[in-house]
Amino acid sequence: MGKYGIGIDIGSTTAKGVLLDNTLKIISDFIMPTGASGSRAVEKIMDEIASSSKLKLKGIPIISTGYGRTRVENAEQSVTEITCHSVGIHSLNPDIRLLIDVGGQDSKVIRIGQDGRPVDFELNDKCSAGTGRFLEVMAGVLGVSIDELGPLALKSLSPATISSTCTVFAESEVVGHIGAGKDPADIAAGVHASMAAKIASLSKRVGTVRPVCITGGVALNPAFRYYISKQLGTELWIPEKPQFTGALGAAVIAIRGLSG
Amino acid sequence: MTETKKEEKVYRQLESNTLLQQIMFQYMLEGHQASEEKHLAWVTSGFPVEIPVAMGVGVSYPEQYGAVVGSQKVGPELCGYAEEIGYSQELCSYARSSIGSVEKPSESPMEGLPTPQALLACNNICGTVLRWYDAVSEQTGAPVFLLDTPPIDGEQPEHHKEYVRRGIDRLVDFLGRTFNATLTEKRMREVAALSSKAIHLWTSSLAACKNTPSPLNCADRFLAMAPVVSMRGTDLIIDFYQTLLDEVESRVKNSIGAIRDEKIRLLWDNIPPWHAIFRFFNGLAKRGVVFPADTYTHAWSGAIEGDDLYESVVSIYSNVYLNKGLDAKVDKMCELIEDYNLDGFLMFSVRSCKRYSLGQLISKELVTERTGVPGVIIEGDMVDSRVFNEAQIQTRIDALLEMFI
Ligand code: SF4
Repeated sequence: MGKYGIGIDIGSTTAKGVLLDNTLKIISDFIMPTGASGSRAVEKIMDEIASSSKLKLKGIPIISTGYGRTRVENAEQSVTEITCHSVGIHSLNPDIRLLIDVGGQDSKVIRIGQDGRPVDFELNDKCSAGTGRFLEVMAGVLGVSIDELGPLALKSLSPATISSTCTVFAESEVVGHIGAGKDPADIAAGVHASMAAKIASLSKRVGTVRPVCITGGVALNPAFRYYISKQLGTELWIPEKPQFTGALGAAVIAIRGLSG
Repeated sequence: MTETKKEEKVYRQLESNTLLQQIMFQYMLEGHQASEEKHLAWVTSGFPVEIPVAMGVGVSYPEQYGAVVGSQKVGPELCGYAEEIGYSQELCSYARSSIGSVEKPSESPMEGLPTPQALLACNNICGTVLRWYDAVSEQTGAPVFLLDTPPIDGEQPEHHKEYVRRGIDRLVDFLGRTFNATLTEKRMREVAALSSKAIHLWTSSLAACKNTPSPLNCADRFLAMAPVVSMRGTDLIIDFYQTLLDEVESRVKNSIGAIRDEKIRLLWDNIPPWHAIFRFFNGLAKRGVVFPADTYTHAWSGAIEGDDLYESVVSIYSNVYLNKGLDAKVDKMCELIEDYNLDGFLMFSVRSCKRYSLGQLISKELVTERTGVPGVIIEGDMVDSRVFNEAQIQTRIDALLEMFI
């Protein structure tokens, strides 16, 4: 087992890096927009980790994950985000059996086995409804920032119905609601409820096993958490930094190996 | 170039492939000759081909042609010709390739299939075939015959057998009228015997894959099944299936696998992505993944036997895999996983083929529940490479393989 390990997660929206020591303590982490060049993001992440940890990174094993995983040149190995998220969450909370990760452009539901490895999963990477992108589009239509969208939705007393599961059609529905003079808070609530319904059905395919954990950027949104918890009828466990679990899992694998 | 060389290293070519190419070539020539003599019918893959064969009618298979279109990587073009004249992108890509090739033969592989004088459709595989053959009938003027085989859930009831049997009688009538041909019991027995013999040899090769290492991989079987699909009932193919079985048995005896380093054994479900067949299966072979069984090539395994041959025909062609309920499919998958000692399964959800792909989400869950092995669904199409996203497929397969480490 090495003394340190680095995990790099190149997602479609953000790139993340985590440096761990062999007690699985996070020494340093960094997140930034992936941008047009994954390799530039990797360089920047390595520079940031090096300067904040004051360590020489040369020789520390790197595992890459995420949508751009195969393009991280210095990585010893690339491992899918399914396995990395599973391992990452297991290192934080070994009781979790179902993980729902909602990223910028995809969402996934992973059933985690006792040993922390995935035993089943479902991915939605074909349709932007049910991903962070859906909320971004809707925030744009409502004229609020993405950070304001969740708190706005929580003010609603009677959420609007958004029946369409497609981002494009849902957008016209939202425009219709705006035209009809509906309260923006109700529309925002409807948007979150509709997205939560889509993700809940994905997770039902894998089988909802408690306790359930939510990760990914969208886990930071309080209205999404509220509606998904309501849809699934269960409490949620959310890690302190829900965007980093993929990179964290990759770093754990960098230290312990895939079969460790 | 280097890529191909590397692939040859992990994947062992079958020597019997040479013979396969020869008979497929001959089959093509015979099709052209039959067409020139105004004696050619196009048939669907689940059609009781023994009957036209016994009546001296030549046959060609548009679905097989679709596979050729896919392998030659011209699916988007040929499907496009059909789309240009108004067919939907949602229509089966075998149907689109076929309609497209009739529309523009000069721009199609082998200039399309030889012109048919009749179109024989059996809906035991899907309902699409009827509409597809109707469309080709409009294009070519050839009449369509439909053998209707209602779907079966559980045992086939008596009245159902009787109904299909009458359909067979009508078929004999239709062929008699259209081709001025007759069916004798003697000839039917000869053809049925040849068909059964080919099927016995074929299924023996399939069963040999229960061994570790598996003597055949998915792509081997998908290529080697061509004659048993299209030339059942002719003696031309017996020699090939005997040669294949000899080769398979010698591989088993000497512990030679289809791939060099077998580590993970998976089940394949559905039609293969013809446009990427070698790249896909050889790519996985490099990682030690072999597919000793699949639900598709096992579909041609019913032998016509017994005193009443027609009763046997009715039973075999009504009970094909796609004509049965989901339970039968799940049972089959579980049986293959257990018998072939498989570690997991890969289900290809084919955009074109709703009949094969519908229910896969549920089957996946049930199969894992019953066998305890993991599986994954990947999406794409067998011919139309426009709907085949490699990065998304890669992530799903990688995640499945990581479960075995
Ligand atoms: S829809 Fe499916 S079963 Fe029907 S012809 Fe197309 S591929 Fe075959």
